[in-house]
Amino acid sequence: MKDISQSINKVDNDEKISGKAKYVADIKMEGMLHALTLRATIAKGEIVEIIYPKLPEGYFVVDYKDIPGKNIVKVIFDDMPIFTTGKITYLHEPIALLIGPDKFLVNELLKQVKVTYKEEKPLFDWVDSVIHYEFKKGEGFKPKKGDIIIEKSYETSYQEQLYIETQGMIGYMEDNEKITLVGSIQCPYYVKNALVQALDVEDKLVRVIQATVGGAFGGKEEFPSLIACQLAVAVKKIKKPIRLIYEREEDILSTTKRHPSKTTLKALMRNDKIISLAVKVGLDGGANIGLSGVVLSRALIASSGAYTIDNLDVQGDVFRTNTVPNGAFRGFGAPQMMFAIEMFVDHVAKKIGKDPFKFRVEHLAKQGDYTSTMGLYRDPILLEDMINKAMEVSDYKTKRKLFDQKDSYKGIGMSIFFHGCGFTGSGEKNHIKAKVKLKKQGDSVEILIAAVDMGQGVKTSFRKLVAHILDIEIERVIFNNPDTDYVSDSGPTVASRTMMIVGGIVARCAKEMKERFSEENFIVEKVYEQPSYIEFDEATFTGDAYPAYSWGVNVVEVEVDPVTYQVKLHKTWSVYDVGKAIDERMVYGQADGGLAQGLAYGYLEVMNHKDGKIMQKNMTDYIIPTAMDMPPMETYLFDNPYAYGPYGAKGVGELSLVGGAPAVAKAIEQAIKRQVYKIPVTPEYIMELVNNGKD
Amino acid sequence: MVNAYVPKTLEDCLKLLNEFDLKIVAGGTDVLIQNRAPSQLAIGYKKDVCYILQIEELKKIYEDDQYIYIGSAVSLEEIMDSMIVPEILRNTILEMASPAIRHTATLAGNIANASPAGDSLVTLYLLDAEIEIRSMNNLRRMKVSDFITGVRKIELAKDELISKIIIPKFEFDQAYFKKVGPRLSDAISKVAFAGAYIVEGKKIKDFRVSFGAVNVTVVRADELEQKIISRTVKDIKKMKETIVSWYEKAINPIDDQRSNKAYRKVVALNLLREFIENLNL
Amino acid sequence: MAKINFKLNEEFVEIDTDLNRRLLDVLRDDFSLTGVKEGCGEGECGACAVLLDHRIINSCSTPLANVIGKEVMTIEGFSKTKRYETIKEAFAEAGGVQCGFCTPGMIIATESLLNKNPHPTDFEIKIGLSGNLCRCTGYNLIVEAVKEAIKRGEGLW
Repeated sequence: MKDISQSINKVDNDEKISGKAKYVADIKMEGMLHALTLRATIAKGEIVEIIYPKLPEGYFVVDYKDIPGKNIVKVIFDDMPIFTTGKITYLHEPIALLIGPDKFLVNELLKQVKVTYKEEKPLFDWVDSVIHYEFKKGEGFKPKKGDIIIEKSYETSYQEQLYIETQGMIGYMEDNEKITLVGSIQCPYYVKNALVQALDVEDKLVRVIQATVGGAFGGKEEFPSLIACQLAVAVKKIKKPIRLIYEREEDILSTTKRHPSKTTLKALMRNDKIISLAVKVGLDGGANIGLSGVVLSRALIASSGAYTIDNLDVQGDVFRTNTVPNGAFRGFGAPQMMFAIEMFVDHVAKKIGKDPFKFRVEHLAKQGDYTSTMGLYRDPILLEDMINKAMEVSDYKTKRKLFDQKDSYKGIGMSIFFHGCGFTGSGEKNHIKAKVKLKKQGDSVEILIAAVDMGQGVKTSFRKLVAHILDIEIERVIFNNPDTDYVSDSGPTVASRTMMIVGGIVARCAKEMKERFSEENFIVEKVYEQPSYIEFDEATFTGDAYPAYSWGVNVVEVEVDPVTYQVKLHKTWSVYDVGKAIDERMVYGQADGGLAQGLAYGYLEVMNHKDGKIMQKNMTDYIIPTAMDMPPMETYLFDNPYAYGPYGAKGVGELSLVGGAPAVAKAIEQAIKRQVYKIPVTPEYIMELVNNGKD
Repeated sequence: MVNAYVPKTLEDCLKLLNEFDLKIVAGGTDVLIQNRAPSQLAIGYKKDVCYILQIEELKKIYEDDQYIYIGSAVSLEEIMDSMIVPEILRNTILEMASPAIRHTATLAGNIANASPAGDSLVTLYLLDAEIEIRSMNNLRRMKVSDFITGVRKIELAKDELISKIIIPKFEFDQAYFKKVGPRLSDAISKVAFAGAYIVEGKKIKDFRVSFGAVNVTVVRADELEQKIISRTVKDIKKMKETIVSWYEKAINPIDDQRSNKAYRKVVALNLLREFIENLNL
Repeated sequence: MAKINFKLNEEFVEIDTDLNRRLLDVLRDDFSLTGVKEGCGEGECGACAVLLDHRIINSCSTPLANVIGKEVMTIEGFSKTKRYETIKEAFAEAGGVQCGFCTPGMIIATESLLNKNPHPTDFEIKIGLSGNLCRCTGYNLIVEAVKEAIKRGEGLW
């Protein structure tokens, strides 16, 4: 049998390349109505009065009064209303839907709505802490007299997922009672559970189907539940199919983004080593908390990066502000923290006059070390070999020396990082409780899980996995887009958990199926079993935060234009340990794509708000890389199988993003011979550093 | 609903413009975005529209001894591919827009749009480009730099149409355009620069620079250029910082969602320094 | 409203509609050609790309009036050609497809590029794709796909 890592062509190539694949906006239904969203035009206050124009027959307003169940979008922290009841907490907060058969008329009616507000002074400063976490490792941060303490602060800004397909959904009623939503979503059961609560109906009266997803990156993790609830309420009232597809500008202005962060790090030094680290992280949660607490804990757990530091004092806050709510985005708190810690370790080394590279290697995490939360790195850590490989292929040492010359504007930077695979802490065991079904029917086998293929290749990799275990042709394995009427709740498609966790259960099902393969028709059903040694106390942040870790090294070479301060990326070299690649080419695809987002987060993508209004509200102003901006990328994979992952697979999706920003920032540091404290490292910031910064 | 007129001849077009108050649309790449309606709905024009891309008379590029003539319905791509068009303009087009935009957008549209960040304008100002304007009863010609009077403000009467762009022929020793965008392609400039010169003997015979996105219109300062012309290259290089300080006053950028004042100013002046440093005998 | 003609995917079509509509909407809503996608609605992303007289344009920023008497080809029409087969296989082989939303536009961009320049350099390929945004791949595997298509399609362009 072939090695599982050997690449095959993706199963959905043909339908996607030919344009036949149906994304939600491509679906037409008889008698479908159009919905547009009425949104607040102030950042904080109360609605005094809404005057709607006279609605022609067949046109409707749907607002909070129409919600049969709870007016809350069920997420993790339940504080986002489906429609406001009058209180406005951020600009563009949804007030109501206007719905009707002629979109032009719906739009005209929307323009005629008059809303009067009583405005209040919005809060944009980070002072209203709504979540505070803290924990210590070892003795925390206890300096003695004469100890050297080095302190630095780092900032990261918004990042927008900018999936090329905007958010969208279609809702309709089946058999006069069952409400069905088809949408661009990552988590069919998140949506379903939210609908059950909003409609206050029995489970079986709600159905969620995933349409082909045109990119998500976390942006379609929790946000679609909001649209789904609004649309479901409307369908319940109007009893007709309704379509709600966001305009690009609406999407950028009103949907969740990566949390801006401020991190202060303090190192206590003894004998040229970091003895203890104090970490203080602040995240801007926006107007609703939603997933922010989980984002914060992932950031805090990553606070010592790929290094082992024996004593930690870690604190973090989520601040509520009157800005668009922030939420899930590939990396989920780790990119912010990895940027801060990776820069800091270099800055500390420079401060004490040590070679940053040597200094970092001396602190690297090793198998058997305690993690930041006193869990154990149980599995082998291959970082030293990975670093050596990255240095060898990139000619790092020679270039580093060469680019140090005074008149050079080139730079090479290296980031070393990890990403915890699966949900933080006991999330898998206590909250998600993934269930998986594998069904044999005659000659074929169907995978019945809620995992969504949003481009990463789940449909292919899972069919390949099952075919490989059963030793049958991949054509005999069926995997349709999840439909909650058929598939088990295998959990959301997030947190680099899909292959390792869900794939692990699917593999167990397949192994059992293989033993009974002579039987004609049967179903194998299994649930997630957490390795018994994994224990995590969420209240105290103690224990194993993740069942496994993926590791990575990124090297980036750049050149800065001394006239315009623009950054040109020359090349990247990456080495990853993802356990075992289920399909090499798909992993390379994830590696390139994640790195592109991480690099762009580090030097290109600018987003900020002014008085609560996102300033870069379209694709003209929010700049993501084009083919011209991205350099050639070389990727190397190290096998390091994880016992509980299928064939040893660990998480892939997020790992490749988290190292990009620090690597490019470090390369720019060398090119301009200045220290970088915030991302994105824009030409404007570079100019400032060149003119005022310190080496 | 607004009406759409699609004249097939210049004469029909001018008649229509004479009779109605119409928005003229060529490729539409800018106008459509400025008049966007929600997806699936017709473009949200404020008044009736006259589409000019069907007019064959406006689709020619030709030259005589002194000038190159570019019809106002010629696509950027055709201009870029035309060997009679000055290289600096062709390079400008290559840098300013993606292939899809180049295939539809026109130079006349870029001029009429009068955006402070219109890249082609920087080069057109540099080249002393003119436009031919027609109406039913009149034909006139003026410099692009006189035609554009402010942000999205142009000297065009409601019955008039830009029919040609006219570019004087020059043989520069060197001429280049440099776009400073937020990324390497497909983006609106933060700053744009164009420069050209002719050296005769050891002296500068012609010296011109223009800047985009640093003021309400493209900055090109004739009086400063006159102060530079006739000096020796060596002298000019020596007085680089003085020249920079002259231009500093004319460069008056703004803060916006794409960049900031300080950066635009510094970079514009850096580009000028670089241009002076690279003057060759 | 006006009755106009143009050639769509190798067939002459007539349509009586508002000429101020975007070509994108006419293709998707009137002709059900949903392989043409809307990503940004302002000519930045290229998801709506089609061929107009064999050259790539963004159908979101093209008014219907501008296609009168011209030849429009969408991914649906192009997918019936031999060139398409070659590009498709190359994209599949190189791993140039992830979420797929930008893919039809990328295919159109590739065709437009190779139609004009059958032997582009890597740099020219990148320029050729520069108006088509992809958020999934980081572009490298797409550039590889185009190179693969050139190799396989020797003589086709």
